[in-house]
Amino acid sequence: MNNIIETHNLSRRFGHTEAVDNLTLEVPEGSIYAFLGPNGAGKTTTIKMLLNILAPTGGSASILGVDSRRIGPGELAFIGYVSENQKMPDWMTVGQLIDYCRPMYPSWDPVFCSKLRAQFDLPLDRKLKELSRGMKVKAALLVSLAYRPKLLVLDEPFTGLDPLVRDEFIRGMLELSDEGNWSVFISSHDIDEVERLADWVGIINGGQLKLSESSAALQARFRRMECVVSEARKLPPALPKSWLVPEIAGHSVRVVESQFAESGSEVEMRRVLPDADQITVSPMSLRDIFLALARTFRLTNPTQL
Amino acid sequence: MLPFQLQFKTGIPAYEQVVYAVKKAIISGALKPGDRFPSVRSLSQELRINPNTAHKVVAALVNDNLLEVRPGIGSIVSDAHPSTREQRRELLGGEIERLVVEAKKLQLEIADVIEAIRQHWDLLS
Repeated sequence: MNNIIETHNLSRRFGHTEAVDNLTLEVPEGSIYAFLGPNGAGKTTTIKMLLNILAPTGGSASILGVDSRRIGPGELAFIGYVSENQKMPDWMTVGQLIDYCRPMYPSWDPVFCSKLRAQFDLPLDRKLKELSRGMKVKAALLVSLAYRPKLLVLDEPFTGLDPLVRDEFIRGMLELSDEGNWSVFISSHDIDEVERLADWVGIINGGQLKLSESSAALQARFRRMECVVSEARKLPPALPKSWLVPEIAGHSVRVVESQFAESGSEVEMRRVLPDADQITVSPMSLRDIFLALARTFRLTNPTQL
Repeated sequence: MLPFQLQFKTGIPAYEQVVYAVKKAIISGALKPGDRFPSVRSLSQELRINPNTAHKVVAALVNDNLLEVRPGIGSIVSDAHPSTREQRRELLGGEIERLVVEAKKLQLEIADVIEAIRQHWDLLS
């Protein structure tokens, strides 16, 4: 499978701060990749470098197979981009915005555009500056979807949107799912929005990539394991490295096993805790996995995650 | 609106849960032979699942002969499979496994479990 996005040691320094620090990741074509991390982790800086809005101070990135430094109108005609702080020509009406964007994209689909506009309930004659935040985001998404891009890049699209608009946004975005090999790169500090949508997950913190893996692989290797020990005590100091956030309360022990193996993990638990009884193993949601990782990585501001 | 019901549970892959919900709807008669089945796009939109997952669901149901692809229309519920008592019972498989696991954890005997089921059964009869 080809990668729609690839970065190699991508870095960006602002003064003495490494906003993005040697980031190496791959986004397979046809996937919905959730790029997660707290505010200030380097998500927006990464996205700006991918789209050639910002130059890297080190490393490289390619998008649709083209070096990010060479990306111009030719490539941007296949990429949709909606960001939290999108600059929009506020003096235009929705209709004028559509007319303004349309000639830039050879693949613009006017029928699809009208359908989306009706779905989003956007009035043609209303000026952008008169629109609510939610309506504005929908207008930005509309003119990013109407040319059926091969790649949709969304930077914190849900911030400040009410649940109804979030739902409309996701439905709109999924209108493209009939296209073969259509990909999405979506940054968020909130995993809830993308839990079942993302088939790839990346976690960035302090400019560094902490993890990049398929959701299926993550869910296969993580399990919550619980057991009861006959004697209440502190946990032994040397625990398996794959155990995240081990806790004991009274006689109950709870750990997150990050390298689960069908029989091996229980054997391991009995080895470390010889009096372990009633061992239970349960699968975890992406959200629970994410929280366990957040606590392990000590992400700044983990409460937002 | 989707022609079957589904409340996602945590931990179980979305793919399995959707396939199960559709099989349940077909076997219980909520989805009847000839009924149109939602497209990959609307499955994905209504359930907020990855389009690749929705595609896998449809492919698996077609493979199991529960759906048929009609060119130009989409997929419809096939009439090859009248539901039998055996099939309806199979639907309980996962739930029963979980019940047995919980019961064993609590060190109950099978008689205790059967008695508990009987009590609940009577409550609803």
